[in-house]
Amino acid sequence: MNKESGSTWKLGMFVIIGLVLFSGTIFFVGKQKNLFGSTFRLHVQFKTVSGLKAGNNVRFSGINIGTVDAIQLINDTAVMVDLLIKKEIQQFIKTDATAGIGSDGLMGDKILTISPGSIAANSPVKDNAQIGSKKAVEMEDVMSSVKTSVDNAGIITAQLAQFAYKMNNNKGALSKLMTDESFSNSLKGTLSNLETSAGQFAKFTTSMNNGKGALSKMVSDEKFGKTLDSTMANLQAGTKGLSENMEAAKHNFLLKGFFKKKKRAEDKKAAALKKQEDQKKKADLPNEDEEKKAGEKNPVNAKDSIKNR
Amino acid sequence: MIEQSINKEPIIATDNNGIVIDIRGLYKSFGAHNDVLKGVNITVNKGENLVVLGKSGSGKSVTIKCVVGLVAADKGEIKVFGTDITELDDKQLNAIRIRIGFLFQNAALYDSMTVRQNLAFPLKRHSKSLSPKQEEDAIKEALDNVGLAEAIDKMPAELSGGMRKRIGLARTLILKPEIILYDEPTTGLDTITSREISELILAIQKKNKTSSIIITHDMACAKLTADRIVILKDGIIEAEGSYEELEKSDNDWVRSFFI
Amino acid sequence: MVISLKNIFNDAGNVTQFTARFFKEVLKPPYEIKEFIRQCYVIGYRSLPLVGITGFIMGLVLTLQSRPTLAEFGAESWLPGMVALSLIREIAPVITALICAGKISSGIGAELGSMKVTEQIDAMEVSAIDPYKYLVITRILATTLMVPLLVVFADGVGVLGGYAGININSDVNLLNYFSKVLESLDFIDIIPATIKTFFFGFFIGMIGCYKGYTAASGTESVGKAANSAVVAASLTIFVIDMLAVQLTDIFF
Repeated sequence: MNKESGSTWKLGMFVIIGLVLFSGTIFFVGKQKNLFGSTFRLHVQFKTVSGLKAGNNVRFSGINIGTVDAIQLINDTAVMVDLLIKKEIQQFIKTDATAGIGSDGLMGDKILTISPGSIAANSPVKDNAQIGSKKAVEMEDVMSSVKTSVDNAGIITAQLAQFAYKMNNNKGALSKLMTDESFSNSLKGTLSNLETSAGQFAKFTTSMNNGKGALSKMVSDEKFGKTLDSTMANLQAGTKGLSENMEAAKHNFLLKGFFKKKKRAEDKKAAALKKQEDQKKKADLPNEDEEKKAGEKNPVNAKDSIKNR
Repeated sequence: MIEQSINKEPIIATDNNGIVIDIRGLYKSFGAHNDVLKGVNITVNKGENLVVLGKSGSGKSVTIKCVVGLVAADKGEIKVFGTDITELDDKQLNAIRIRIGFLFQNAALYDSMTVRQNLAFPLKRHSKSLSPKQEEDAIKEALDNVGLAEAIDKMPAELSGGMRKRIGLARTLILKPEIILYDEPTTGLDTITSREISELILAIQKKNKTSSIIITHDMACAKLTADRIVILKDGIIEAEGSYEELEKSDNDWVRSFFI
Repeated sequence: MVISLKNIFNDAGNVTQFTARFFKEVLKPPYEIKEFIRQCYVIGYRSLPLVGITGFIMGLVLTLQSRPTLAEFGAESWLPGMVALSLIREIAPVITALICAGKISSGIGAELGSMKVTEQIDAMEVSAIDPYKYLVITRILATTLMVPLLVVFADGVGVLGGYAGININSDVNLLNYFSKVLESLDFIDIIPATIKTFFFGFFIGMIGCYKGYTAASGTESVGKAANSAVVAASLTIFVIDMLAVQLTDIFF
């Protein structure tokens, strides 16, 4: 009798543990499939579901929130997909949320993804509501676009090949550039000359900017400019006085002849002065131009040197 | 006390002139060319020990197995307590079987049970209103009858051949049968134990007023227990009579049993 | 030829009758509840260590064997799911059933065979106890109910074995492992596999009982009954498994 009751509890333990294990598995699997716990339903209409099946996961912001409950054709171009989604997620799905069909990895199952709606739509979806859908990305579409790219790539390669062929065998400038050694050497010489001249020019401009020479001062020193300005004004005033005296003297008969001579010389002198001033202006302007040119040329130089190497 | 609580169907038919078993024209064959019984007629009177003799394979065991319905008869009638058991369904047959005890050749104790459980097994099933105390008493009484009260908690594997036979007998007796069928009760036992078993059979018959069919090859046993003897040969009854009559039979073949 | 064909038909007829009798009598009282519980203990609890060890080893070995192939695809993270799926869908039920065929079917065959030979079955019958009810129905019921439970244990232990296997080569946290296992499981993986284990259990018990119950007299037939019970039960398990997989394919 004792022996029997001893075995009874063992049997009971065996059976209970087995049943618990089994029902536990069923429960947990069911939980993942949303059979238990509170859920709500959503409907989405698609043109094609690209192999989505009942039981596939529904994702929202990358989290599994439910499963596809049923899929039925409602007419020849529309498929209605019913979703079972956890109740606690409902508040996050707005009325203008959209659903799309994607796949879980390259070889994985199809999944239905719900994209959150805009912030403007504040009201969460209701039970049994229908939300919009995005066209599923079909593998065929992907493939056809891949095909176009591949075709284009084919054309490009062909042309590139032609180009390369021409370049290797023809006498054009580019071809020469690529193939003729002497040409490239001369080009190299030219470029190095250009480099030195640009370097010297750079030196020149620096000294001009920083140096103490008159020209530099003229360009850069403000005070000098002002002094020059006032000097010029005084000079002008002096000259004016002088010209008045001279005018008076001109009218003096004694000095008339002298002045006539002097006027002729003066005219000449004024013309020369004007010329000088013009030249000075000219020297200023190209200076800036040269500077610009040097700045542009330097990077080109660098590029060229890389190419040559 | 115990007898009252054992569920026994009321006797269906009264004893016909004191005959409890009446076998008429029994045929049985196993396969096409193996006719074992070819028209056996046996009657057992109330309170009588009938010994069946015969060579091995002469159909003795088959005959008594037909009586309890273990082997279905091909032809003939087997009246037990006046009812033809060949026409009964399982339920009615079981009602008759409860009133018949059967001691198998090797006692057929249930190996997976202790002696106590072996005895309790039929008791529990046929006398449901028994309290544990009454059950215990009935087991003890049956074991006392065969003189093996100390073996109550042993397993059959721990028992000797003679003990097994006696426990088997105790199990047969526990339902207080009116008829007991013995299938070679003394085979495989030494002469002393054989004698003890034979004496036990006789004692039980005296005490419980049972009727018995005893199949045996053991002439000592036959001599001790038999009220009447029948001898089977080739599926029919060759001779019938008391031990003394058959011992002096004219038939050499019959007499050869008694040498 | 004709005789052997007739024998085959004869056997088939006997098996059918034997099975039909089970369904005819299983719901009829009296119920042998005590014996049924005892058989459940013997069949279920006593087989647990064997089934547990095999299940664990199967899970472990399966993980180690499928790891290199999956690693080639860089899909080692699929290992828990794959192992759990193959265990629950196929390997645990079949291996457990085969072990039960070896242990239980042969045990029943030998036990009933020796009871038959030593006339214990006859003894029951003459004491007006239906041996079919007491011996056969309890055992078939017990195997039908216990084998699925043993399979559940084998599943559980096998998945644990898979966890051990994964941790030989890498370090996976138990929670992560189980969440991956559960993620890969669907009712489709569990329910048909469970249903078929009931059939496994039924036939393991049925074949063992049939072979034992119909054993010829003589000690030799006990061994024969046990042996042929194992062979027939193992074969039947594979046939049922094939049918079950086909049916699952059709209906799901």
